[in-house]
Amino acid sequence: MVEMTFLQGIRQAIWEEMQRDSSVFVLGEDIGRLGGAFLVTDGFLNEFGSDRVIDTPISEALIVGTAVGAAAMGKRPVAEMQFMDFISCGFDQVVNVAATFRYRSGGTVSMPIVIRGPSGGYVGGSLYHSQQFESWFFHVPGLKVVQPAFAEDAYGLMKASIRDNNPVLFYEHKWLYRRIKGQIPGPDQDFIVRLGEAAIRRPGDHITIVAYGAMVHFSLEAAEVLAGEGISCEVIDLRTVKPLDMETVLGSLAKTNKALIVYESPKTGGVGAEIAAQIAEAGFDLLDGPVMRVAARDSFVPFAEPLEKYVLPSVEEIIEAARTLHRY
Amino acid sequence: MATRTKNRTNSQTAEQRYRDHLTKADHYELYRRMWLSRLFDETLLDFKKKARLKRGNLYASIGQEAINAGTSLPLKPHDYISPIHRDMPIFHFKGMSLESIMCQVWGKAEAPTRGKDSWSHMGDLSAGVIHSTSMLGSTIPVACGVAWALRLDGKTDSCVVAYTGEGATAQGVFHEGMNFAAVHKLPLVLIVENNQYAYSTPTHLGYATENTAARASGYGIPGWSIDGNDVLEVYEHTSLALARARAGDGPSIVECMTYRVRGHADHDDTRAMGYRPVEEIERWQKEDPIPRYREYLIKNKIFKASELPSPPPDVQKQVLDAAEYAINAPEPEAHTAMEDIYDESAGVTKWSK
Repeated sequence: MVEMTFLQGIRQAIWEEMQRDSSVFVLGEDIGRLGGAFLVTDGFLNEFGSDRVIDTPISEALIVGTAVGAAAMGKRPVAEMQFMDFISCGFDQVVNVAATFRYRSGGTVSMPIVIRGPSGGYVGGSLYHSQQFESWFFHVPGLKVVQPAFAEDAYGLMKASIRDNNPVLFYEHKWLYRRIKGQIPGPDQDFIVRLGEAAIRRPGDHITIVAYGAMVHFSLEAAEVLAGEGISCEVIDLRTVKPLDMETVLGSLAKTNKALIVYESPKTGGVGAEIAAQIAEAGFDLLDGPVMRVAARDSFVPFAEPLEKYVLPSVEEIIEAARTLHRY
Repeated sequence: MATRTKNRTNSQTAEQRYRDHLTKADHYELYRRMWLSRLFDETLLDFKKKARLKRGNLYASIGQEAINAGTSLPLKPHDYISPIHRDMPIFHFKGMSLESIMCQVWGKAEAPTRGKDSWSHMGDLSAGVIHSTSMLGSTIPVACGVAWALRLDGKTDSCVVAYTGEGATAQGVFHEGMNFAAVHKLPLVLIVENNQYAYSTPTHLGYATENTAARASGYGIPGWSIDGNDVLEVYEHTSLALARARAGDGPSIVECMTYRVRGHADHDDTRAMGYRPVEEIERWQKEDPIPRYREYLIKNKIFKASELPSPPPDVQKQVLDAAEYAINAPEPEAHTAMEDIYDESAGVTKWSK
């Protein structure tokens, strides 16, 4: 066990997988000589060489497309988006080329790709360095979407994502990068966190809070405050957004009968909307109150601090929503 | 055979050499491939007209057969192609069976996509055919990825030949791919099938350069604009580009100037006449690559006229048999629509250190 930050956990996972399997390689902007804008691939170029650590031109479609072609040939590329906001420039390659590849190959070709990068707000990143828009990809068959909240999961999920035979979008919340630390097992442990399995981070009886990414930490903070008021919250960390672990959500709901969904992206049409719909379809009889959501306002992530705070969800909003829900 | 090649390099001697290396059998193979292409299109158009083929569009390459034959003959089995919608015969020349291609056209269960996608949106990596999509230009970065994988595997003798229309060279993603291929000297050959129209849009509304081979200078690579209706010209320049790629000299562009005799697809055959000047169509029809090559072969005493039937009856039969095979092949079962969305296997579970 070594204590590492969230970011170091991700770096360690990719490093170990590259050491273990020569078919794993990384590509992206400034990831070699610089080691990445956030230094996730720091030292990789020296260790693995320029054939497996590719400093690409500023060409997101090229980055994803090259990953697709290499994956079709049996490689396991890990493509960095310098910021996940920029994936829009490679959108077509993700949704029309990578996602569909297995389908249109009649099941003969696998697409073991990871597209990873920093996402999320709360750091003054403003419009183009704060977005997630994971619901863009949540909506597309053939893709998987991951967003860890803890360093151990960042490490274990990254390993699982690299080993998965499907295209995985791996969202690394930049607010967590150096803020969150964890105990990372050594490479001999071969520790992985399977995709599609949520974790209950805090047991509780009155309300089920479903969250992922940075919102897990917000929800835990809120749950702590609420506990002082006699409101017991069970906090579920989805870890993988697609496929959704509704079994864990509904299992928790059977105990608490109340659901509060917290997500950082704009409220309308977000992942939380789908979770709410699935709860309504499969868990209607379990509910003692409305399914509630705390999410970003339907705006972009603005720069100035008061504006950013106004748009993005806060611990206070989670507490407020939980109080309202508790009154039912 | 008259050539009207622009942007000629000093590759003259090399070209001569490639041409001289063709055996009598090679010449016949070029002739056969052109006819197979023509008959592939004509047969399908006929089946569509008779409603024996009811779904999907047909993107005929009639008039462009010299490209189908001339670019495919120099390929080695371990080369890869990244074809597009007007290259259906090339899928076959690269090693996919005509039966499986016809099954794809009819959307049958044993088609390469199992009926999930139509026409050219298929591939077969075991034959060296990279799966294509509708987003023209999007295939170029994927071709780069295949080339990169070949590099990682040390397969220095394998090349990737990517096809595109002149229209798709306007795509941003085309630039991203070509730029990357040039930077890393990837073993890529880009064949531009410049058939004068991107659907209905003429070339002067598509680019302001003299031709699309001129785009090569923007990447620091060679580009040739050649007579794409002269099968030997096409064969030679493809061979030249492949030799460069195999030698580690990186990508090049071979732009084949040709003409799309029919519409963009069968649904706009009639309308296609409306957006093109009649004299233009007539002028290009005189350049039909098949009779041109036949004349050349007879004039140069490579074959007697009687040895070059138009069309060769065995080729006609081959195409018809494949189409009939597809018509009689079973339909996919409805529930298979939900298969192959994900690879459901466990992925990597055991790692060898």
